Amino acid sequence: MSGEIWSLSESTSVASEVAAGAQALANSMQGFVAVIIDMKEIRDDVHGAKKRLLLKGGENASGPPEVVAESIFRAATKLMPSVILVGATRNGREVASRLAIKLRTGCLAEASRLSLEDGRLVADRSVYAGKVTARISSSLPCVSTVRAGSYSRTDDIPGETQEYEVGEIAAKTKTLSSSKKESGTVDLKSAKVIISAGRGVKKKEDLSMLEDLAKDMKGALGCSRPLSSDLGWLPEEHHIGLTGVNVKPDLYLALGISGQLQHIAGMKDSKVVAAVNTDKDAPIFQASDYGIVGDLYLLVPALRRALTARRGTR
Amino acid sequence: MKIAVCVKHAVDESELKIDPSGKPQLDGAATKMGTFDKNAVEEALRVKAAAGGEATAITVGKAEAKKSLKEALAMGADRGVHVVVDPGALDPRRTSELLAAALTKTGPYDIIMCSEGSSDTYTGLVPPMLAERLVLPYIGYVRKLEVSASGVRAERSLEESLEMVESSIPLVVSVVSEINEPRYPTLIQIMQASKKPVQELGADQLGTPDSPPATTVLSMSAQSSNRKRIIIEGSPDEAAAKLLDALVKEGVIQA
Repeated sequence: MSGEIWSLSESTSVASEVAAGAQALANSMQGFVAVIIDMKEIRDDVHGAKKRLLLKGGENASGPPEVVAESIFRAATKLMPSVILVGATRNGREVASRLAIKLRTGCLAEASRLSLEDGRLVADRSVYAGKVTARISSSLPCVSTVRAGSYSRTDDIPGETQEYEVGEIAAKTKTLSSSKKESGTVDLKSAKVIISAGRGVKKKEDLSMLEDLAKDMKGALGCSRPLSSDLGWLPEEHHIGLTGVNVKPDLYLALGISGQLQHIAGMKDSKVVAAVNTDKDAPIFQASDYGIVGDLYLLVPALRRALTARRGTR
Repeated sequence: MKIAVCVKHAVDESELKIDPSGKPQLDGAATKMGTFDKNAVEEALRVKAAAGGEATAITVGKAEAKKSLKEALAMGADRGVHVVVDPGALDPRRTSELLAAALTKTGPYDIIMCSEGSSDTYTGLVPPMLAERLVLPYIGYVRKLEVSASGVRAERSLEESLEMVESSIPLVVSVVSEINEPRYPTLIQIMQASKKPVQELGADQLGTPDSPPATTVLSMSAQSSNRKRIIIEGSPDEAAAKLLDALVKEGVIQA
């Protein structure tokens, strides 16, 4: 093993976060070096580690995950990294799974915190829909997926770039087309305020009332799974939860959301959580800083009035 | 068309109790079929309805995992395969090794259907690990699936994009939960499920050596929620004003 900690993601923002995680690990233990993996071409906007490895040939980082995995496998068998960290995106999970099988190594997953202890990689991760933190370790070398948002981007610019030729790789599946999701202007990941709608909203048209409140508060509109998945009132990109978007705004305002564990898992890192629900026993109140037991159809207009009143007296 | 659908008999996270020392009580915890696995079963049944053939539900787990197989059979699967081994809650390598061996032994299958992840640990590694072990094409996070005799065409749902992907069969597919609405079995279907065949396999019959796992679970501890849990009283207008005051004080909205 070379002591190198490789980091990669097809998403440039996640790639920088994972690189920062790799660099933090390398800083904690003598003899380890953090490396950003780029494929086909260098992405200047990916930084956070002190070294870069450019894998030439094959596909770029956003190519089919099977090809990305094979590229890294070829380089890894030659360059022998000690750890490979992959951003836990949908494609990243496939890359990591394939690598662990190809390289016959252990595989950790969804790490939110990583450390090196007694020659093993230790990962903290959420399980049981966020009820429990599991601490799991693997012998080295190993692969781990790293949850987006776990590490903050840093400005470390790689001072050295190594190149490695991986050669041609054929994919078993054929990608016919790729299109951007129609998520409109929703960017829940970077929103400071999120207004989130649940089953307490009785019909689709009523969402406009919540959208107005979101506008007043300069926030974005999210929802719990039933609204996007079962009812189809909002596109899937608005779905906050375990299988949807994971968010951590300054303010999360849950309106008519009961607070199933799968939903809480997607918003529990919010700075402040407030909730409105008619059921005083709804689990959302246990996961909230501020709760109002009441009807969102009365509270949303009241909140808008209160906002106007505040701004008027300023 | 021979379809295999992989299901996990999972800990019911909503019923999971935490003991006074802050550890989850996993022994004797309530269990259920993984929430998202129901979407995989539903999709397998839809493919079967459209293309004809047979759907086999397969699971790896302790004796009680049979409950999830029974549920898949009640939903409409034709037979079950139960690998009676506890793979350890968080070792996808071992789970995928046992599943791959069982699929090889009881197959061949044209489509191996999985969900995107289990509702208890949600690691999402087993489906691509299966494909890698079985040297099959893999399409993950599918939200629309069209199957013909020669192959499949699938729409993948990624974080920010949708991809149309084509593959020959056999292959491994994982589906996201918005792909369908799982059916509820009727009482008659539940009763009939007990008559459907379930094949039991042990690790020794699968020729998978019980190699020491590369990963070890060091500890499990309850996540503490430090929320204030303040209930604001008053009329809607009073409560709204009080809430805004509190949020301004917290510094999360502008005054």
